Amino acid sequence: MRRAETLMALALVVGAGVLLREALRLSVRWTSAGPGAGFFPFWLTLGVVACAVLVWLQSLRAPATPEGAAPFIPAGAWKSLLAVFLPMVAILAAISYLGIYLGGAVYLAGYMWLVGRHRWQLIVAVSALVPLTLFFIFERWFLLPLPMGVILEYFLYGR
Amino acid sequence: MPLLGVFNDLLFGLGVALTPVNMTIVIVGLILGTAIGVLPGLGGTNGVALLLPLTFTLQPTSAIILLASVYWGAIFGGAITSILFNIPGEPWSVATTFDGHPLAKQGKPGVALTAAFTSSFIGALVAIILFTFFAPPLAELALRFGPPENFAVLFLAFATFAGLGGGSPTKTILMTLLGLLLSTVGFDIITGQPRMNFGLVSLQSGVNFIVIAIGLFGLGEIFLTVEEGLRLEGIRARLGFRDVWETWKLFPRYTATIIRSTILGFWVGVLPGTGATPASFMSYGLAKQFSKHPERFGQGEVEGVIAPETAAHAAGIGALLPMVTLGIPGSPTAAVMLAGFFIWGLNPGPLLFQTQRDFVWGLIGSMYIANVIGVIMVLTLVPVFAAINRIPFGILAPLIVIMSSIGAYATNNQILDLWFMLGSGVAGYLFKKLGYPLAPLVVALVLGDMTEQALRQSLIMGQGSLAIFVTRPITAGFLAAGLFLFLLPALRALRRRGRAPRPAESEA
Repeated sequence: MRRAETLMALALVVGAGVLLREALRLSVRWTSAGPGAGFFPFWLTLGVVACAVLVWLQSLRAPATPEGAAPFIPAGAWKSLLAVFLPMVAILAAISYLGIYLGGAVYLAGYMWLVGRHRWQLIVAVSALVPLTLFFIFERWFLLPLPMGVILEYFLYGR
Repeated sequence: MPLLGVFNDLLFGLGVALTPVNMTIVIVGLILGTAIGVLPGLGGTNGVALLLPLTFTLQPTSAIILLASVYWGAIFGGAITSILFNIPGEPWSVATTFDGHPLAKQGKPGVALTAAFTSSFIGALVAIILFTFFAPPLAELALRFGPPENFAVLFLAFATFAGLGGGSPTKTILMTLLGLLLSTVGFDIITGQPRMNFGLVSLQSGVNFIVIAIGLFGLGEIFLTVEEGLRLEGIRARLGFRDVWETWKLFPRYTATIIRSTILGFWVGVLPGTGATPASFMSYGLAKQFSKHPERFGQGEVEGVIAPETAAHAAGIGALLPMVTLGIPGSPTAAVMLAGFFIWGLNPGPLLFQTQRDFVWGLIGSMYIANVIGVIMVLTLVPVFAAINRIPFGILAPLIVIMSSIGAYATNNQILDLWFMLGSGVAGYLFKKLGYPLAPLVVALVLGDMTEQALRQSLIMGQGSLAIFVTRPITAGFLAAGLFLFLLPALRALRRRGRAPRPAESEA
């Protein structure tokens, strides 16, 4: 837990540093039109760095507790966390092919099967009905086109 | 004479809200909102963000009525899960678990539920009446605000987080600054030059606030729930007419608590930045302090349900007051609604009262109607809503992920935004675990442009001198109040150090 605090503070300092460099490419001082474009972000990055250092110092001074020594993510939780996260990455990577509807169906079915361990009838029913409902709500009633993916477009519109 | 004007406007607003289209929208919003409120892992802020894309095709008035009704529904619904399942459906119903669940376990779930809904309703109704009469003069006053006054009000908003938000003030300030910083990505609002985008065209339109909010509040919450391994075991409840009647007979003796909680809740809600959650905790703490039997709190005291619920709902209403009159959201959920204003083509601010009469008064009118319908709906449909929690998490989790992706995509039609959502989901999970508050970041991100503009214009007005912030009385007053709030945590720490160590003193 304590190491996580340090790492987070460090990440914030690095992130603010990167943005500071961006801000310094603009004028951070008084210009003919008042404060320059970089003025506001410049002072904000400095503020973030200062706060991150302060947070880090505070975490060092905090008394040692059992929670402080415990691992940041409980050992047993990794598996269920990755079960949500990794499929999302995979589906997002393939979204131009799958689109939101097919991608959603695959994600639902996979999660229900691997994590929820539901019966296959329920899996088929839910992962077919949900995307279908969404399709009608967004594509038909509210006319908000969502990414369809190459596959679905081919079958629906022959493109 | 101005009082008569308010009544006229209110009647007009009720007329707008009572059209068949808007009535349908109120009911749909309430049902969706209550369902969102009941489900742990799907909060009001995220729920409103998810529905935002659907409002693009509606009239602005109907759109705001839909989102507001979802908010009211979510506030009602949070209590159901708190009382029956001992898991807060929403952050603002955490305090309701303290006494609500013990009551339910003693075989009195009907009493706890009726008390929660009824006090929510009373808190809301009184707050709406306050809202109706405070909003027009406040908007009038705000019309005379210049950049220094605007900056001072925004400063007060951020200070409220640090002073009253609880948790680590350093982390709160850090998150506020980070939110402001993210808002600078894209274009400079004054000179129009592209900035902070690392030369990437896709970043030129800026960091999309809705995407970040959905990631932080939606996915982040899912990750947390998955990690904890959600197990819902509830108490079954059916609300009979007798339960309701017996509980209502108890209400007169809690009049003082209800009045105190309503005023506290409304005030905390109006303070920019803090919404229903801190209000409910403060109200619970105060009710305990004022009670003749503080030892009964936590054991199933009806007053311990009434106090936080009254305040939460009053605060939810109050949070919309600065949103409508000043263009400053009073809570993270209001921040999401405010982001909608821009998309619907409205300019939030005091001018709305003059230029968008049916929008403003339609919203106010709908609040009266939505809360009357809402309380009847939850009182009669508790078993139905409680049954939502029987949906297995194995279906719910991927469903929320899919809905979040649609919401994040539809605001800008950019696939890149889905990656931003995923990234902020991971960030939200890490932040939350380490005790970094998310609300300040989200509110600061929405208010960033406005803050920067107000600050830079003030500096231009003062020709670079900071004196402009001291010489104008309203500005100086707000800034002084803001500074006091910033220093409040430090003052409290000093006071605590002065006394003997008493752990968990301000917890409750």
